[in-house]
Amino acid sequence: MAVVDRNGPIADAWTRLADEEAVSKGASVIVSFARLKNEHNSLFSTAGAVGVEIPGDVNLDELEPFLPRLSVIVVRMATMRDGRAFSIGRLLRERYSYGADMRAVGDFIPDQILFLLRCGFTSFEVKDNFPIDSLKRSVAAYTAWYQRASDRATTVAELRQGANPNGGTS
Amino acid sequence: MYIYDQFDHAITKERVAEFSQQVSRRLTGELSEEQFRPLRLMNGLYLQLHAYMLRVAIPYGTLSSKQLHKLADIAKKYDRDYAHFTTRQNIQYNWIKLDQVPDLLAELASVEMHANQTSGNCIRNVTADQFAGVAGDEIEDPRIISEVIRQWSTFHPEFSFLPRKFKIAVTGAPKDRAAIQYHDIGIHIVKNDAGETGYAIYVGGGMGRTPVVAPLIKPFVARADLLSYLEACLRVYNLHGRRDNIYKARIKILVRDLGPAEYARQVEEMWPMTRAAGVDVPAGEVARIAAFFAPPAYDKILEPVAAFTAAKAKYSAFARWVQTNVHPHKVPGYGAVTISLKPIGGIPGDASSAQMHAIADMADTYSLGEVRVTHVQNLVLPNVKQADLFAVWQRLGEIGFAEGNVGLITDIIACPGLDYCSLANARSIPIAQRLSQKFADLDRQHNIGPLQIKISGCINACGHHHAGHIGILGVDKAGVELYQLTLGGAGDETASIGQLLGPGFTSEDIVGAVDKLVNTYLDLREKPSETFLEAYRRVGPAPFKESLYGRR
Repeated sequence: MAVVDRNGPIADAWTRLADEEAVSKGASVIVSFARLKNEHNSLFSTAGAVGVEIPGDVNLDELEPFLPRLSVIVVRMATMRDGRAFSIGRLLRERYSYGADMRAVGDFIPDQILFLLRCGFTSFEVKDNFPIDSLKRSVAAYTAWYQRASDRATTVAELRQGANPNGGTS
Repeated sequence: MYIYDQFDHAITKERVAEFSQQVSRRLTGELSEEQFRPLRLMNGLYLQLHAYMLRVAIPYGTLSSKQLHKLADIAKKYDRDYAHFTTRQNIQYNWIKLDQVPDLLAELASVEMHANQTSGNCIRNVTADQFAGVAGDEIEDPRIISEVIRQWSTFHPEFSFLPRKFKIAVTGAPKDRAAIQYHDIGIHIVKNDAGETGYAIYVGGGMGRTPVVAPLIKPFVARADLLSYLEACLRVYNLHGRRDNIYKARIKILVRDLGPAEYARQVEEMWPMTRAAGVDVPAGEVARIAAFFAPPAYDKILEPVAAFTAAKAKYSAFARWVQTNVHPHKVPGYGAVTISLKPIGGIPGDASSAQMHAIADMADTYSLGEVRVTHVQNLVLPNVKQADLFAVWQRLGEIGFAEGNVGLITDIIACPGLDYCSLANARSIPIAQRLSQKFADLDRQHNIGPLQIKISGCINACGHHHAGHIGILGVDKAGVELYQLTLGGAGDETASIGQLLGPGFTSEDIVGAVDKLVNTYLDLREKPSETFLEAYRRVGPAPFKESLYGRR
């Protein structure tokens, strides 16, 4: 497995821990949501940095108390058709103001990364043979968007108002 | 008509480029068919029984003559010289080669058209009243917010992988001509007590194997808040709609399981957040779009128009055609012409490239360059002077589309059925053709009056059989195509779901069975003005059942 962001491969400093594995002092670990809920005190005091993997049917209100101390949230897409991750991303960014790394894992394809980026994701766990060229092309596919999203990209409506500041006001 | 600016053009071209490279990655094998499938569906490309089918979007059913000419050219160049207008106001080509799709999309883009989101589990092409802008009973032209919704929903990053497809329809008048309560979201433009124009939101309607008439979720949403409200509706669905069973994945199941009140509550809870996110477009942008739909420069004409009156008096066939196929126009001296794509014995919704070119020319000569597509698979010339109606009728006769049957029993909706579709259980088109021939006599059609027959070749209900006054559903029983009958469906503002009458009929017997139903109605109606639907609603299914199955 490799990890990429919008520009290409990045180093992955995280260790995945199974629920029964011990936490090394100062390590950067990703744990299950269940373990986070049960062991958050010891996790945050022992580990150097803590991340959590959440399932698609997560109740984000349960996650909320931990958000300020989390360094990465991993959202799993069970299949490329499982689009809940897109809404979870936007909720975490826009409702809960989560500001650290948000990572998609699972069965998505390069063409979906563009939309995941717009919904607040920042890194992506991919297979080693992941086509980086396709990623780069996908990310650069569009120069403007019609709608507001978590990336706060300027919308076409805003560009229009700017392009024609005297027109179309009512 | 909405006209693209530099941004619309850029986005459309970028989409052609993106899909073209997805096609080439499929052809080289980088993408598996399983990975390519959702990508091609999002571009309206289906793998059917014999070939690829491409569904091209006609947003809210509005076309310019230039666009219709291009659609005709495409039919000739890439297909077998014809195309099929659909119940979602789109157009389908049935014989497309995958490697030609990029070129075809580039041609569409040259006339400000595309195939975006005409399939797939995303927000589909928005539909609207075909008489938008010309109907006298209109509160607001539904095309304005339809275009706002088209732009907002195009490549929506959050809602492109929904549990299932998502259809939005808009109607701008008290009379619902867009079947909004059979949509995932139906938007009814209304005025509130303060006299402000806004939107009543119905959520969770649909056809398919679980037909539902959508409940009212929110009686009034102000124009400035519409997109944030829709986004809240969609987000609740995207998070909580079922993904474990394709037949239970539509929003109608979520709304039914939660109950409309609880669904509405969850939307209300989500709404402040989508509002705060700045999802709604500025008033200036809505005004910019609205300006494209400002009324064209109509002539001042005094009614009655002498030439029109004289032509009706002289030619009774013309007068009859006017009665069924010309809808009143809000401007005196004009009419909106529905061109029936249902010639007797023809395939509902099909048109050849020559016919499309001829209609595009007529739009330029007689209808300010505009054409509409209806969800009943007909076309409309929305702005015809009454003085020109006779010439229009004659020209339509030359191209075989002068059938005066709009709203009558031979104005049949039919899905493509087993002749094309890989999902179908039974053929639809031949049944429609034989029914059309059976009821060809126009005197009898007028005597029967308004009667909508809708035929689906499988439970997916693309032929809207649930909403047919008489619905016909093709099923497969041990390898035999059988046709079940439903009665009493309606897709208008009195929307109701047709009720199954009993065991199905073979292909040989189905036409005779419909004839019996019609005769039963003629016998029991209280007066000639009592329509089939009114009579059915008065007496219920019993006499109709008896006519088909005898006394039980």
